[in-house]
Amino acid sequence: MKAAPFEYVLARSLTEATDVLGETEDAVVLAGGQSLVPLMNLRLAQPSVVVDINGISDLNKVERLNGTVRLGSMCRHRRLETDPEITELAPLVSEAVVHVGHVQIRNRGTLGGSLAHADPLSELPAVLMALEGEIEATSATGSRMIAARDFYVGTFTTTLEPGELLTSVSLPVPGTRDGFAWDEFSRRHGDFAVAGIAAVVSLDESGSCTYARLVGAGLGATPVDLSGSADPLIGLGELSDEVLLAVADGVAEGVDPTGDIHGSAEYRRELAQLLTVRTLRTAWKRAEGVDR
Amino acid sequence: MTVTTSERARTTATSVPRRREDTRFLTGRGSYLGDLRPPGLLHLAVMRSTQAHARINSIDVTNALALPGVVAAFTGAELAETTGRFSHHLPMIPTLRQIEWGVLAVDKVLFVGEAIAAVVAESRHLAEDALSLISVDYEDLPPVVDAKAGLAEDAPLLYEDWPDNLFLHMSASHGDVDEAFAQADAVLRETFTHHRVAALPMEGLGAMGEFEAATGRLTLHVSTQSPHMLRTTICEVTGLSEAQVRIVAPDMGGGFGVKNHFMREEALVAVVAMRLPYPVVWQQDRFEHLTAGIHSRQQVHEAEVAYRENGKILGLRARIVADVGSPELYMLGCAPAVVTTGVMPNTYDFQNYEVELQCVVTNKCPIGGYRGFGQPQAIFTMERLVDLIADELKMDPVEVRRINNIDVDALPFTTATGAILDCGGFNEQLDELLDAIDYPVLRAQVAAEREAGKFVGLGVAQMVEPTAPNLHSLAGQFGGFEMALLTVQPDGHVSIHVGTKSQGQGHETVFAKLASEVLSVPAEMIEVHDGDTRFLPYGMGTWGSRSAVMGGGAVLKAATQVRDKMVAIAANMLGSTPERTELREGVFHAGEGEVPLAEVAGAAYLHTFLLPPGMEPGLSVVVGYDPGNTSPFPDESGKLNVAATYASAAAAAVVEIDPNTGVVTVRDLTLVHDCGRIIDEVILEGQIRGAIAQAIGATFFEEVRYDEIGQPLTTTLLDYTIPGFGDIPDSRIIHRETPSNLLGGFRGAGEGAIIVTPAALANAVHDALRPVGAKVTQTNLGPQHVRRLLRENGVKANPLGVTT
Amino acid sequence: MKISLALNGESVDVEAEPRESLLDVLRDQLGLTGTHASCEQGSCGVCTVLLDGQSVMSCLVFVPQVEGRTVRTIEGVGHPEALHPLQAALSEYHGLQCGFCTPGVVMSALELLDTVEKPSRVDIERWMSGVLCRCTGYSGIVDAVNAVAAEGAAT
Repeated sequence: MKAAPFEYVLARSLTEATDVLGETEDAVVLAGGQSLVPLMNLRLAQPSVVVDINGISDLNKVERLNGTVRLGSMCRHRRLETDPEITELAPLVSEAVVHVGHVQIRNRGTLGGSLAHADPLSELPAVLMALEGEIEATSATGSRMIAARDFYVGTFTTTLEPGELLTSVSLPVPGTRDGFAWDEFSRRHGDFAVAGIAAVVSLDESGSCTYARLVGAGLGATPVDLSGSADPLIGLGELSDEVLLAVADGVAEGVDPTGDIHGSAEYRRELAQLLTVRTLRTAWKRAEGVDR
Repeated sequence: MTVTTSERARTTATSVPRRREDTRFLTGRGSYLGDLRPPGLLHLAVMRSTQAHARINSIDVTNALALPGVVAAFTGAELAETTGRFSHHLPMIPTLRQIEWGVLAVDKVLFVGEAIAAVVAESRHLAEDALSLISVDYEDLPPVVDAKAGLAEDAPLLYEDWPDNLFLHMSASHGDVDEAFAQADAVLRETFTHHRVAALPMEGLGAMGEFEAATGRLTLHVSTQSPHMLRTTICEVTGLSEAQVRIVAPDMGGGFGVKNHFMREEALVAVVAMRLPYPVVWQQDRFEHLTAGIHSRQQVHEAEVAYRENGKILGLRARIVADVGSPELYMLGCAPAVVTTGVMPNTYDFQNYEVELQCVVTNKCPIGGYRGFGQPQAIFTMERLVDLIADELKMDPVEVRRINNIDVDALPFTTATGAILDCGGFNEQLDELLDAIDYPVLRAQVAAEREAGKFVGLGVAQMVEPTAPNLHSLAGQFGGFEMALLTVQPDGHVSIHVGTKSQGQGHETVFAKLASEVLSVPAEMIEVHDGDTRFLPYGMGTWGSRSAVMGGGAVLKAATQVRDKMVAIAANMLGSTPERTELREGVFHAGEGEVPLAEVAGAAYLHTFLLPPGMEPGLSVVVGYDPGNTSPFPDESGKLNVAATYASAAAAAVVEIDPNTGVVTVRDLTLVHDCGRIIDEVILEGQIRGAIAQAIGATFFEEVRYDEIGQPLTTTLLDYTIPGFGDIPDSRIIHRETPSNLLGGFRGAGEGAIIVTPAALANAVHDALRPVGAKVTQTNLGPQHVRRLLRENGVKANPLGVTT
Repeated sequence: MKISLALNGESVDVEAEPRESLLDVLRDQLGLTGTHASCEQGSCGVCTVLLDGQSVMSCLVFVPQVEGRTVRTIEGVGHPEALHPLQAALSEYHGLQCGFCTPGVVMSALELLDTVEKPSRVDIERWMSGVLCRCTGYSGIVDAVNAVAAEGAAT
């Protein structure tokens, strides 16, 4: 399987990249290539122009601005996994990214690439939504911020406009009583998730829950925001089995997964419940300062 | 410059590689098909059907031909005019439909991926560009994607001149089955479903053809397990003679049975090469391999077993429906299903056995051989039946096996189907397994864990396996022999050409070791070659666990003959007689005199006056080795002893199931394995562990899937998921060596573990599900399937997880 | 287009179309057929090479992307007359049979040995999960990498 011919553009600047992307309807961005190139090798994607953005400097910065950490879109998965600054400021990202493929994939794959590719089975889009992060989309005419909840609209479909490049992601810096957890079920280590759950829990000084987020991967055409199911947690001072079961019930009702060869709808629903309980338990412990 | 840890690392590993082949494989200097780069090499890409069942109204390659860099394009219709056709060479079987097919489909396609046109270009990239410019006018026909549906009255017909979709329909009845069922205390009926899998060697298939018009000679490099048998087939299709065709099988990245058929693409390359002045290569890519290669194993068994209340089996009836996909495959794609019928009685002594086999054609990729070749299915069904009988009678399944196993004193034993079993005792083998796992204690422990609420199970299975079989009954030609050419060179080094073909089994090392023992020449001085039909008159390749038995036997026979000749020469040189001349550690001794082997070798070529009067110069023999104990056809009653010898094994597995995810963890896996005399224990264990890994894969990880209109769903390695690092449990292997009666005392080795392990695992899973009464009647025990079994038997998933 | 890179310690130039992968160019133009093609999808790891010291699937790298970079392949590791300790260990522990995945195994393991001190067997399995093997069942490979890691740590 060999890719179809294309015109290759090595963008030396952001402007050059967004200009070309704006001009050519079926131009694609080449970042890590770990999602794009398999599609091109199978000829499922046959863009006429490929814009390589690996040469644009300053797209892989990690910056802290007040309560936000901004991660450049060209941060490689491997760096998200191992860089101590990132594991401290975006622990949910670091925890989830370990499940992305294998070392070879993570050495090349990028944060922006994963987020823009919008594979419903992948980890980082669900993480973005769980953290209520924001995407910076830059075009020839300027940049705008897109909230996570407005970003994913369908399988492999985001609200990035033609000519827009995902340039950075802004996430809230964790507070001392915030806890995060990712877990997923996949057939083999590194496979796409059959189901995955991101959980965020915040506790106040008395140990009561003030905030909880739950987002699922593999459970719909986009990451599925299940935070409504976590409402029973608000105000509670401890996690009981009863309340966890109630949350899990809510999750079961809140998902409508498509079955395929990797998992029937029912199986995915069961996994979603199991992973919800696991991640909530872990996130809660971490919020309490236990099991960091 | 920093010295990296890996560069600083040392190891106590010796620098002399364990296997001869290791040096080149470890340093990237192997020579696989895709590595061959003759000057002017062109690339062939295959246009494949996008429809599962359709008429081809027209194919237009005009635009493809016009693309710069494209050298030629061929359609099936065009090639059919001048090319021979394949057949399965079994006209003598009246219930097998006689079909012929060409190197490309012509009027009709029978599965998604079927080859319908070919393009040759300067690069694979360009050839694929050209494929996208070929237009095909399909007329869709309703597809048959399920064997049962294929047998229905109103099913669409794949072959419109057939009355139905039955490709092969055979039955056999041995003993008096009706009487057995009448006399039985009970009858158990069950249906077992065997899912479709793919062997998936890491290197796909491929062929490179070079034709010299000036001499009329064709050289075909092919990643094939059976070069000579392929040559015979290529000659039929191309019309060339066996003296004009040379097949060379280079280093191979695995085979496992899927490279043991004679693929139309391989003949296509030959035919195309004959039309071009340049070499041309086709390399099967992963997408082609998964969708248009070879699939395996898909069968449904309806079985009934009649037994006494003490567990003694009186008779067995089996009705097998095999979904064979497209039947256009030689050698016969449904051969494994025929083997399934022959081995089902397993190690048990009952003689009343009736079997019916229906091979149904469907609009899917052809089914063919994969390690085990129909035996995993038979052994699975039989071993499950035994456990189900034990359940009914509340007996220990081991005791049911004991009662039914052929007694060691009855060996050699002729089974219901005519197999003459010559191996070690089955109860003795079982005992060794049970000892090794401390069976009574383990049973009690497992029961206690089950009491405590865990889903833990223990399963046992055993098998006897025909190895080194005679192929005639399945291929219409070829027999059960092997050849070897052994030459002691003038300097005392040795060259061996053997008719088997290594695909990773380490033959260069193994056969050198064997010859070394006979010739007392160090293995490092012995070069072993395989795969090139130029050097050996014939060979039968590597499949069917035959290489040690047949290749080893041939090598031993040849080495012995040459040694004997050298003894005679040495005797002459020492003024003694052959009877008083001995070869020890590379030196011939007679009385006080001695002469080194190298000198004897030199005499045979360089100083021939030293030879005994009348002796021919040279130290080289070509031998044919046929143990002579196999039959080419079944007899009138349908009985057939197909194998030169038999291997056996028994396995025990302990599994634990996570009831919430359905994941099965194999906590213990022990095998007792008897392949006769062991040549190289490390290489043998490598084979066993590899077979275990494939058994784990087929049981818990892999399935080939199609949708309802025959579109393949498992088209990448992310859909067809073979086990990776960390997915294979540790296992304990215990060797038994019951020598066979054949040269060397070998029995077949490569397949035993893949035949017995799935049955042991299934029995263990069934045991683990005992508390909920779920029955295991299918081979796919992947997590979602086990979870479904649990769900169907009332076990809800607990979101709180497993409570420890 | 023309691309220049450092390959196994030497500077090389190649002329290739952008759509050719690093794998294609290594095998077809540079005569280095030790890196094998198995899935061309990044899902088997057989084509693993080191790019600036990091393991990557060479089938997923278009050749323009290696301009000015450093690539190391199996041909740059050991030599038939002097095997690298990892190669020697793979032989000793019978961590290869058909050899097709072996170059990918070696390159992946080299990065592991340079990155993780004292990897446990589980670490090794996790790290190497990007390379698929159909012949060995993996235990011999893990034994070999484990042996080298243990001795490397001791040096």
